[in-house]
Amino acid sequence: MNLRTIVALVRKDFSLFFRNRFFAIMTPLGIIAYLIIYFVMPSSVNESLEIGLYAPVMPPAFEQIQDEGLEIELVESEEALREAVTEGQYMAGIALPADIMEKFLSGQKPHINVYFAADTSEEVEDVIEVLITELAYLQVGEPLAIEVSEEVLGPDMLGMQIPLRDRLRPLFAIFLLMVETIGLASLISEEVERRTIQALLVTPMTMAGLFTAKGITGVSLAFGQAALFMAIVGGMSDQPLIILVALLLGAALVTGVGFLMASLARDVMSVMIWGFVALIILLIPSFGVMFPGTITGWVKAIPSYYLVDTVHQAANFGAGWGDVWLNLMVLLGFVLVIVWAGVMVLRRRFR
Amino acid sequence: MAGDAIVAEELTYWYGDLVAVDHISFNVTEGEILGFLGPNGAGKTTTVKMLTGQLRPKAGKAVLLGIDAAKNVKKVQGQIGVCFEDTNLYEQMSAVENLILFARLFGIRQFDADALLTRVGLAGREKDRVESYSKGMKQRLMVARSLLNRPRVLFLDEPTAGLDPTSAESIRNVILEERERGATIFLTTHDMMEADKLSDRVAFMNQGKIVALDTPHNLKQQYGKRALKAKVSTESGELCDREVILDAPETPNAVHELFAREKVVTIHSEEASLEDIFIKITGRGLTE
Repeated sequence: MNLRTIVALVRKDFSLFFRNRFFAIMTPLGIIAYLIIYFVMPSSVNESLEIGLYAPVMPPAFEQIQDEGLEIELVESEEALREAVTEGQYMAGIALPADIMEKFLSGQKPHINVYFAADTSEEVEDVIEVLITELAYLQVGEPLAIEVSEEVLGPDMLGMQIPLRDRLRPLFAIFLLMVETIGLASLISEEVERRTIQALLVTPMTMAGLFTAKGITGVSLAFGQAALFMAIVGGMSDQPLIILVALLLGAALVTGVGFLMASLARDVMSVMIWGFVALIILLIPSFGVMFPGTITGWVKAIPSYYLVDTVHQAANFGAGWGDVWLNLMVLLGFVLVIVWAGVMVLRRRFR
Repeated sequence: MAGDAIVAEELTYWYGDLVAVDHISFNVTEGEILGFLGPNGAGKTTTVKMLTGQLRPKAGKAVLLGIDAAKNVKKVQGQIGVCFEDTNLYEQMSAVENLILFARLFGIRQFDADALLTRVGLAGREKDRVESYSKGMKQRLMVARSLLNRPRVLFLDEPTAGLDPTSAESIRNVILEERERGATIFLTTHDMMEADKLSDRVAFMNQGKIVALDTPHNLKQQYGKRALKAKVSTESGELCDREVILDAPETPNAVHELFAREKVVTIHSEEASLEDIFIKITGRGLTE
């Protein structure tokens, strides 16, 4: 392998990449769009539960429920309460009856109306119901005969929930990596389609040199953008080295995917189709980060899981090498297998 | 005495059940132009691919400049130039950029791209993107690219196919200049006139085998016939064709009788073309 020939090929590939209008426009536009989306999204999470309360008579126990994470506002009438809940001003509304104290004192059950907004989750509905029941017990002087102990599993994120935009960072990184890979795959596919690859291979340029050059082009294009994006959105403020290593491995992974795509595709259009198929598959683990609990263990069979999880853990929780080394090793294993497979199938197409 | 630039020994290649090249042997002397002729599917391109190291022979061997092409592919490829039949240039790059890229792949640091482009008639368009070139200009650039490393063996696959007469003539001149320089040229073509004009020897390939290999002159002598073609006027004023075979014992008498008995209007000699000879040998035309 000759370094000068590899440099010449990489320069040629970069030049052709940016002379392709689609990729020349999509590359800066993509990164700008993701940055805009990121910075437009809220940077914090509102963790408090806002509840409206209509209480013609306020039982003493109910006066004590202003707690951390619970905001209770008094409203003037039950009608106003219903209106405020309907408009989404409160997640739930509690309307106490005027005879609540009399009922408590006479041992009767008072009837309490609770209103929920249409999109209130079942969990919140249950919480409100439990809250009212507990308050009622407190008021009548018969507290629940239980003790509650609380334990937070994993990092205690109370008061510092991860904003959605930060959960989106791994998703954006995968997007950026993959778009550049589609670019690499179309460059290679075009070389095969236009037979320029034949012209390259009847020179002293070796097959190994050719793949090295293509690999450098693919990794540089993908890694450069993803790293730039992560730096701008503050994803590297805690564990920059881990993020860089993960993105580098991710860039190598998608370069291998690019080789596979180029070997399957017969023209630029089919590169796009295969590219979107690969993009969808590789994006799945990102949804698990965005919406915890939505995906199960099988997602670990997707190589990008180890990239997404590493980026998420390191950027959002400050995870160190000890926490992510296994992810990185598995990712490296996937990289080696996929790049090897890509090279093997693509070199058959070059002949 | 010049040595052999190309030696093919029992060169064989097959694709599945189809034998594309069937144990062919030949040699090309340094500084010689060999015209390699045959119809589509005869095995010409497969032969060129084996000689240039793009395909590894299934049997036999190809030796270029004393080097086994299968064992030292890159060493051979550093000393040859290949001009493909189909245009395979980087069309979004200029002519100069294309040449600079390939010069770097050959490890050439200093070369005069403008002089090379002037030589193939592309002066003044060197900085234009190749996508704006005509077919003839692209073909001339392909030839220029194959000359970058001053190759000792030059493979040209249909270099003038589909070109206008000016472009074709420009390329033929370059081929002759390269021969003058001492390069060995392996010319694959369908154009019999071109092969006849340029080649020192021609090889006819048919169904994977070389069916004839000699100088155009010797092939014509061996397989062709020379004749006098005349148009004579009859008594009623009609024009009729007459043919007198040359190189036969009865030729002098036949010529004498033609002039003595007939009213000759026009007369010219005619030689067999390479195409006629190819048809005679193989029973099929070159364009079939």
